Amino acid sequence: MTLRSLGYLRHLALGLAVAAAALLALPAVAQPCFIFVHGKQTNTNTYTSYSAARNYWVSGSRDFIQTATRNYTASYYVVGYNGTRPYWESQSAGEVANEIVAATNGTADGGGHACAKTYAQGGTFWVIAHSMGGPVMDFILGNNDSSDPNYNYNGPYSTVASRISLAITLSGAHRGSEGADAVCFQSNPFCSFIAQFIQSCDDATYWLRSSDDVQVKTYSNAPARSVYLTGGYEAIFGASACLSGEDDGVVQYASIYACNGSATASYDNSNVCGNSSKQESSGFFNLDGAHENHDDIRNDSDRDTRRQIPDGIWTCSGSPCSPNTVVQSSMSSAQFVSILW
Amino acid sequence: MTTPKTPLRPLHLLLAFAAAVLLLPVPAVLAQDDASGVRTLAQHTADVYRQAARYPNDSRPVEAGALDPVRAERVPAPHSLPGRNADSPLITVWSREVSFEAPAPVDLYATVDRPGQGGGKGQSQGQGGKVAAAISGEVITADGETVGSVVYNDDGKGVDRRAGDGIYSARFTLPQGAVPDLAASFGVRVTAKTADGETVGTTGGFLYSNPHAHLGGEIRDEVRDGNLVMSVEVTVEKAGRFHLAGTLAEMNGTPVGWAQTAAELEPGTHTLELSFYGLMFRDHGVAGPYRLASLSLSTTTSMPNALNDLVEDAHRTAAYPLSAFTDRGFGNPGLLQAADRLVAAPGKAGH
Repeated sequence: MTLRSLGYLRHLALGLAVAAAALLALPAVAQPCFIFVHGKQTNTNTYTSYSAARNYWVSGSRDFIQTATRNYTASYYVVGYNGTRPYWESQSAGEVANEIVAATNGTADGGGHACAKTYAQGGTFWVIAHSMGGPVMDFILGNNDSSDPNYNYNGPYSTVASRISLAITLSGAHRGSEGADAVCFQSNPFCSFIAQFIQSCDDATYWLRSSDDVQVKTYSNAPARSVYLTGGYEAIFGASACLSGEDDGVVQYASIYACNGSATASYDNSNVCGNSSKQESSGFFNLDGAHENHDDIRNDSDRDTRRQIPDGIWTCSGSPCSPNTVVQSSMSSAQFVSILW
Repeated sequence: MTTPKTPLRPLHLLLAFAAAVLLLPVPAVLAQDDASGVRTLAQHTADVYRQAARYPNDSRPVEAGALDPVRAERVPAPHSLPGRNADSPLITVWSREVSFEAPAPVDLYATVDRPGQGGGKGQSQGQGGKVAAAISGEVITADGETVGSVVYNDDGKGVDRRAGDGIYSARFTLPQGAVPDLAASFGVRVTAKTADGETVGTTGGFLYSNPHAHLGGEIRDEVRDGNLVMSVEVTVEKAGRFHLAGTLAEMNGTPVGWAQTAAELEPGTHTLELSFYGLMFRDHGVAGPYRLASLSLSTTTSMPNALNDLVEDAHRTAAYPLSAFTDRGFGNPGLLQAADRLVAAPGKAGH
């Protein structure tokens, strides 16, 4: 056995111990109901079929929702919207807002799952959004007040903001994707996103480009509820070559972490924008980075390394870990979410 | 081929041990609040909400060192698309404005850079220097219909500021038939061919706006109930919903805070009020006069919104002492309630 493998085993054991300790030490706090918002789609399946929306979070025997809710200890609701439409449209943001409010009222999703407590009964609600679910939530939470530019544009945004506690985005496309730049109008045929959800420049993809005129920040205020950011840095062969800095094969770090400035700036785990350099003046907070690709991060299929990022959530010996520090050796984002509540 | 073997020596063992120690992970845990035992994500969120509750939703301070948030949303950011290989040229495109207000022409820019040694993915943009290229663009609607084309030049003529600086410029006039009733997004498919024969491309874009209201010119300021209220005259040409936002700054330009308002308005002349919550001046610690550093009006009747040109340095206020402003927190009820729910004690709401 090599020193490296001994180190790895030690690493693994420590990681598991820390995770177990964290789970055992759970305090008696408000148990949230999780509301899951999927990402972009190449068809309307998740909008018309509950099983499609539910399976979005599943890979074989692995299930993000089962893991994040600690084997359904927490209740949940799965949203299904039209992921082929621009993030701000009625069948996307409007549908998501309506479903979130329904969830907080105790209505069951298409699979019969309802939040254990309604808002009126004192329930708390955490939204978990993947990919395009990020800008969808940014649009809703940034247009919740009557003074906001697109207040309640096509749904009950104000009710959503008043009822949810926070949102966590998994590789959220807050600033779009360079993949969309490559795909739209066939501007760069060398960049292959053929296997990804942005394989064609449909309306949703058009509104996920890096250009400022389509960015959600241009049409929203700062989010009314905190948006916590985690994302992947495992490349996808062919696609990642066309993305700046670290990426998960579909979305680059500048977008995953909602950075201000250029949506295509080159960032990694050491230097990605901190909490004071976001696309809005407040409301976005870094969690960490995961060695998962864009698909892995939503289906619990890759329990891998996690690293601290600037202003990240992990502490080492009582202080914030240095950016790029390996903080877990085999933890998926679903497992990560499960220890946050 | 056999790799020569070297016997282990004490120094090697020491180095190996040191390497093993370095390979071990730093035990890391989620940050926790040790007093209450409440997990940090909930506690952190509650703390953020309680702090933010000192201000209303429509007016907030700008953190020290932060950008003017109203202006920041109107500053176009260059964006790049790396080439297929690490040494492929990197094309970067941007426009002069996020949104062009009719009937203004559209100014577009592009550069092509060669990544530096070992460059490409993960490198800073333009590290290897500018590359001469023939650059052209095709302006396309969101539906994919071509409305015109442009050639980018680096000759110092017209819209191009300096010849040979590697920044290629183009000016495009939107055909009258393509001018939207309110606003429309246009894509620009940009293609660059270098002298080496390499072709790179990306998609840029811009918003073209035909707003239904304009700023009237008159701006007044007064302190009302401890807040600084700016009354801004707006002339509405077509009924709709309108959004106004502004950032107030010290006279030296340091942002103090922002405010926004929105209203449904009929055609005619109206006054919209931006109420800057007085506590921001107390927190900032600098008395007036202040500058209305940026002022943005937009027509938000539908998406995409039509953005009027940003007005910078729109107004200078009277000299107000800090004592004129409220020193009381707003007590934003929505945020306080959200905070209370997040960290509710067992048996109370949320558990």
